Amino acid sequence: MSIQEQYRKKAAELLSSGEVKLVIGYGSGSTPDRRRALFARTADDAALFHVDAACDANLSGYLVNEGLLSDKKKIGIFLKPEGIRSVNILAAESQLDPDQIVILGFTEENGTVSGLQGTQASDFTSLMTALKENRTTSEKEQALVDKIEAMTPQERFAFWQAEFEKCIKCYACRQVCPMCYCKRCIVDNNQPQWVHTSSHTLGNFEWNLVRAFHLSGRCVECGGCDRACPVNIPLRLINRRMANEVLDAFDHFSGMNQNQEPVLASFKKDDPETFIL
Amino acid sequence: MSKPFEPKIVAFVCTYCTYAGADLAGTSRLKYPPNIRMVRLPCTGRISPMFILKALQKGADGVLVSGCHPGDCHFTHGNYHARRRWTVFRALLNFTGIPLERIRFSWISAAEGVKFAELISSLTEDIRKLGPFEQYKAMIHETEAPVSL
Ligand code: SF4
Ligand code: SF4
Repeated sequence: MSIQEQYRKKAAELLSSGEVKLVIGYGSGSTPDRRRALFARTADDAALFHVDAACDANLSGYLVNEGLLSDKKKIGIFLKPEGIRSVNILAAESQLDPDQIVILGFTEENGTVSGLQGTQASDFTSLMTALKENRTTSEKEQALVDKIEAMTPQERFAFWQAEFEKCIKCYACRQVCPMCYCKRCIVDNNQPQWVHTSSHTLGNFEWNLVRAFHLSGRCVECGGCDRACPVNIPLRLINRRMANEVLDAFDHFSGMNQNQEPVLASFKKDDPETFIL
Repeated sequence: MSKPFEPKIVAFVCTYCTYAGADLAGTSRLKYPPNIRMVRLPCTGRISPMFILKALQKGADGVLVSGCHPGDCHFTHGNYHARRRWTVFRALLNFTGIPLERIRFSWISAAEGVKFAELISSLTEDIRKLGPFEQYKAMIHETEAPVSL
C-alpha cells in the first residue's frame, strides 16, 4: 500500500472512530503540481488527501485559528518535521495544548515521501535531536549566505536594498507563517508607528528587519514565507542566517520540544558578549 | 566652504547606570563631544530594537545602547535579556549591511564617568571618520520625494 493510501486510511479511521473532530491535510490545488489545505470532517473526505512531494506547506498555522481547539477535542494534522517543530514552539509559547494534536508525520527526500513513526509531538524527540545534529544545509543556500557575508557592508546594504525595494508590503510572508499568530502585528500599530507603512524602500527595509527579528529563534525554516513572497525576495537567506546565529550563540535549535524556553525570553549568565564595550 | 561633518548619535541608556555615569561625567567636568542625544529609559530590558530603527529612520549616523554591567541590573536581569536581544539584532543588522561601527553597545556603571566620556569621544571620532550614513539617508530622502504620476 502506498504511503498515500496508508495515510488516507489512517485519517479515515481517526475520523470515523471520533478520536479527532477534524483532519487538516493536503488536497488538490489549482494545478496538478500544487496542493491546497484540505479540512476533512468525515471519513469520506479523507479519501481526498494527497501525500506526495508537492505537499510543501507547513499546515500548523491553521491550528491556532481562534476557537479551533477551545472545545478540547483533538485534531489530526499532516506535518513534516518542520511542522512538528512549529507545533512544539506553539506549545512552548502556550498557544496550544500538544495533547490535542494528533500528528500524521511524513518526510520528503529527493521527491520520495516516507512516513514518520509517532502521533504526538513528544514522540519525535529523537528525530528533533537528529535534525539538530545534522542540520540539513542546502548547499546552495548556505553558499549564498556565505557569499553575502563575504561582501562589504556597503555591498550587503545595496544587495538587500535592491531586494527590499521590490517588497509590496502584502504581508503574505506574515500571514503564511505559523509563528506569526499575533492578533495585532507591530506594523499595523500606528500609535506609535514604528515602521513606515508606505511602500518606500525605507519602510520595506524596516518591515523585513522586524519580521526577521521577531522570528529569530522561532523560525523553523519551513520555507513558507519564501514561497509566498510574490516578488521573490530570498527571505530564506535571512531566516537561515538568524537560525545560524541562535544556534552558534545560544545552542538553540527552535522547536526541539514543547518545554523549550524561547531563546529571546531566557538567558544564561555567561551568554557570549564579545561585542559589548 | 561647507561645515565639517558632525555626526548625530543617539544613545539609549539605562537610568540607573549609564545615565548616572553620564551625570558623573558632567559633575566631574569631564569633556565629551556634544554629538550625543541621550534617551533615558528605566532599563536596558526596555530598549526595543525598534528604538534603534527609529533613530536611523530619523537620520542618526550612529546609535549607542548602554546599561548596567551584568549582575548590576536594578531589576536583577533586564540586562541579561537585553544582551541576547542585542546579539541577535546585531547579527541581523550586520547581515543586511548596516555597518556595526555605527551601532554600539556598552556597559557603563554609575561610577564610570570617565569611561562614559572616553567612549563618547571615541565613538564620535569613529563615526566622524565614517561620515554620514549616506545609504540610509538616501532611503529616507526617497520617502520625502513628491510622488511622480
Ligand atoms: S519565517 Fe518563514 S520559514 Fe520561518 S517558520 Fe515562518 S514561514 Fe516558515
Ligand atoms: S511576502 Fe514579500 S512582498 Fe509581501 S510583505 Fe513579505 S517580503 Fe514583502
